[in-house]
Amino acid sequence: MHDTNVDTTKFFFRLSSSVSPRLLLSELLMKKWFEPAVPFTLLVALILTLCLTVPNFATVRNVVSLATLYPEFGFVVLAMGLSMISGGIDLSVGAIFAFCNLIALILLLVLEWSIPGVIMGTLAAGAFVGSINGFLVGYLKTRPFLTTLVTVIIVRSVVNLLNQEHALTFATNYVESDAWDFIASGQVLGIPVNAMTLIVVLIIGHILLSRSRFGWRLTAVGASRKAARHAGVNVNAMLFSTYIISGLLCAMSGIFFAARQASSDSFTGLGWEFQALTAAVLGGISFAGGNGTVWRAMIGGLVIFLLNNGLVRMGVPGYITSSSVGIILLVAVAIDVKWSKNSSKASELLYVNPTRIPLARRPSIDAGDDNPFARNDRLLSSEIFGLNQVEGPEDVILDRQGRVYGSTRDGNIIRFSGENFKRREVFAHIGGRPLGMQFDPDENLIVCVAGMGVYGVTREGEAYKVTDETNRTWYKLNDDSRLRMADDLDIAPDGKIYFSDCTTRYEMTTNALDVIEGRPNGRLIVYDPKTGKTHTEINHLHFPNGICVSHDGQSVLIASTSLSRVYRYWIEGPRKGGLETLLDELPGCCDNINRASDGTYWLALIGIRSPAFDLAGHMPGFRRRMVREIPVDEWLVPSLNQGCVVKFNDAGEVLESYWDPEGVNHPSVTSMREHKGYLYLAGLENNRLGRIKIEGADTEWTGFDAYWGDPQKGSA
Amino acid sequence: MTLGKIKMSVATAIATVLLVSGASAQDTKGTKASAELKADYDGSVVGKRIAYLPIMYGSPLALEWGRVLQREAEHRGIIYELRDPNSNVDAQLQALKALIDSQPDVIVVQNPSVTLLMRDLKRAEEQGIHVIQVNMASNYRSDAFVGVDWREIGRMIGEDVVKECGAGSGKSGKVAVVQGEITAAGSIDQMAGINAAFAEDPSIEIVSNQAGNWLADTAKNLTDVVIQQHPDLCAHIGFWGLMQSGAAQAIRNAGKIDDVIVYASGAGSVLDCDQINQGNFDKYLSYTGTVQGHALFNAALSLLQGDDEPGEIKRAYYTRPVWLDASNADAKNCFPLDEN
Repeated sequence: MHDTNVDTTKFFFRLSSSVSPRLLLSELLMKKWFEPAVPFTLLVALILTLCLTVPNFATVRNVVSLATLYPEFGFVVLAMGLSMISGGIDLSVGAIFAFCNLIALILLLVLEWSIPGVIMGTLAAGAFVGSINGFLVGYLKTRPFLTTLVTVIIVRSVVNLLNQEHALTFATNYVESDAWDFIASGQVLGIPVNAMTLIVVLIIGHILLSRSRFGWRLTAVGASRKAARHAGVNVNAMLFSTYIISGLLCAMSGIFFAARQASSDSFTGLGWEFQALTAAVLGGISFAGGNGTVWRAMIGGLVIFLLNNGLVRMGVPGYITSSSVGIILLVAVAIDVKWSKNSSKASELLYVNPTRIPLARRPSIDAGDDNPFARNDRLLSSEIFGLNQVEGPEDVILDRQGRVYGSTRDGNIIRFSGENFKRREVFAHIGGRPLGMQFDPDENLIVCVAGMGVYGVTREGEAYKVTDETNRTWYKLNDDSRLRMADDLDIAPDGKIYFSDCTTRYEMTTNALDVIEGRPNGRLIVYDPKTGKTHTEINHLHFPNGICVSHDGQSVLIASTSLSRVYRYWIEGPRKGGLETLLDELPGCCDNINRASDGTYWLALIGIRSPAFDLAGHMPGFRRRMVREIPVDEWLVPSLNQGCVVKFNDAGEVLESYWDPEGVNHPSVTSMREHKGYLYLAGLENNRLGRIKIEGADTEWTGFDAYWGDPQKGSA
Repeated sequence: MTLGKIKMSVATAIATVLLVSGASAQDTKGTKASAELKADYDGSVVGKRIAYLPIMYGSPLALEWGRVLQREAEHRGIIYELRDPNSNVDAQLQALKALIDSQPDVIVVQNPSVTLLMRDLKRAEEQGIHVIQVNMASNYRSDAFVGVDWREIGRMIGEDVVKECGAGSGKSGKVAVVQGEITAAGSIDQMAGINAAFAEDPSIEIVSNQAGNWLADTAKNLTDVVIQQHPDLCAHIGFWGLMQSGAAQAIRNAGKIDDVIVYASGAGSVLDCDQINQGNFDKYLSYTGTVQGHALFNAALSLLQGDDEPGEIKRAYYTRPVWLDASNADAKNCFPLDEN
């Protein structure tokens, strides 16, 4: 069973294979901005509804009115949101607002302070009450809910007592002040001054939360106090300052309200904590903490404000307006709890989206067939070395001194030397998961490291970063600027490093899912050492794995694991930029490709196709159910219990193959490297390296000298 | 009945209808004076908009005002609009601003405090809208005030307390007061009236004077303490019937309901009268909500028919408070709640 009618070298085909509604949804669910998208849609819908149903709603006059009325509540929602992001809650926001409103009026009308004095004094009052909350929550470790609830009672009592004393003064006194009138009803660029201040505060808040150390630490504290403390964050001070900021925001709110309404009553700000809480949760600031932005707080705040405003103006009975906010809170909290618990599960459930895999015909591998793929036991004669001294060496390479390099799962590059490669040393520690390797002309070892990018190791064993990011694809939801799984590389004669990033959707530990998904999630990336720039050369490739520059340096060979085929990509010459299929009817999934001494190429097959595997390739639904319903070790994958290395030439002809049919010495070979008449073998899941003697091969040929030239002899 | 007789009676009937309608056609105009009066009236009021913005439409008094206003307005072809903030002062403030933007002819507003809506009421009149403040005024004097004279309410209750508890009564002279929202007109001016009455009898002593913020629960909590501290309390004054029912409950729980004279004032709904008849309130001063509703409508009519620009004149329409007690708290004096 095979597909002959699809041309996977065509970009459009590969792009369309990357598109799926389910995939889109799963990626949407993982986007940070998608969470507020729901309340934002709600806000837009609400505004449209109000424009259609409330007379005079969509007028400039009304918008200015609303912009004058909203900011006080907006500040309070912001204060609530901030405390929630820190993992707590500040129920005293409404009370602090009322208190600061009262303080501003007392300072202005009773003590007759100057306007700057009133502002500073009121801000100080807000910060003071906030600092009490902050001290209790941050340093005495009291629970924010109960602490701020008690603060509400105390602050409210103080407000009522002071009100009783000064109410008549407020009612009868009046201050003539242009500055105070400006705070009350002034405009900046046509925007009410309180709304302008809110906008400025929001921008500062956004930068503070998302771009500053303070914000990151605050989010960390909110997500997990313990983890934040272990990471060295001063949790106590963070919480202390959070509640002070919350108090300051309420104070700003109080100043504007005092200026505009010049009124203090027992009902000022009454129930605002409840409304602000509803708004914050509705906007998508999680109760669980550590998750939220200032914009989410504003979206929620505006919904609640406009809903109240609109319902009252529609003449809806008051008890319906009041209860609707309550119902919204219940629903929003329910969604918040369910969302935070299940959204990752949902996106996980939706994440793997298999599609039809356009596999070409599977050739026979029967022993004795007149076929280059016919199984034999040529790998059984290998000399094994480094047994249990390497762990999963994906690639193997030799330097000019004949020393062998392999790697371990924990990020080390291991070097073997001496007689029978008995001498083992940790050549370098890079970290991550080292995969494909290649020497550059200066004999630096360039390594693809899954999870990190492309790194180099000098002859002295010093690791350095080559590149860890590329340009982001503008039309993808998934941010693909980071290198997820740099897999194999080769270096063109001009020094450009071509490497494969085999998947942009999975990780090293889950990359098998990418093969099962069968979508073109990988890409070919180029790093140019001359400019230091990295860019994606070919996007949407089906699990590009082995990379090898052709003997003539004109093209790059790209092995696609999930399609079991090899592409040729022209980097020079008349067909530069063209992608064509070089090999497709292969018996197994391709891994690394390397140059052979006779002008041909070696190709490792990591797994061998079977009729059942090929059939599954045409049944995406089956594969989807498979990964969802049965454990990993029962998944239908290519056979990993045999080793196979194939030799092919530039014409796309397969010449011969080397097998370990039972996987005794080298199951699941992922790379091989020819050096002085031997073929060295490595495997991603193997605990060894090995080599076999190649009949008739040039015993003086080394990969480095053949490609870069022997420095002693001059250029090649 | 034969066919001939049926024909005959049908003819008679038609003739009768024709005659009668002919006669009424001649009389449709009535007197010229009344027709002109009505035409002027209709010209001034028909199609005008009255917007009503109480503190909480669910309260008996606000419901009664609204009921009368709506019924009268709609009968006269006036558009009636209700905005119910349900005690949410932010919503009331927003609703008022939106109302001003929508330019009705008259706004009827009940102020939660003397300051909160003040500036916006002034703005409303500047924008050409007549403002009637009902019962609870603000510090801004608008075109019309309709409602009780709070000083009068305070003085009437105060004088009665002096009579019952003052010098020569043999009682302790101790009085407890639970005010409403401290910054509301109903509290500030009523207290002034009470103080004025008490000033005439030094034997009267206010032992407690606190704000219950119109909440029965708060009134009960405050009174629980007062009645313990002053078991010989003579009178207890609460500023609003619904709130005072909480205080009365505290006095009843303390077993003092027969000893303490409980004063209240309010809308005059059956809810308050039930309290009187259950013995919780001894004396009750009713604002007569129904009468106030009519006064409101009449005030609106005179503003609509007058030539005065909004803000030009300041009129008051005080309603007469009526004493209710167990002897007259009946259907005649207490308005029902189920007529909406």
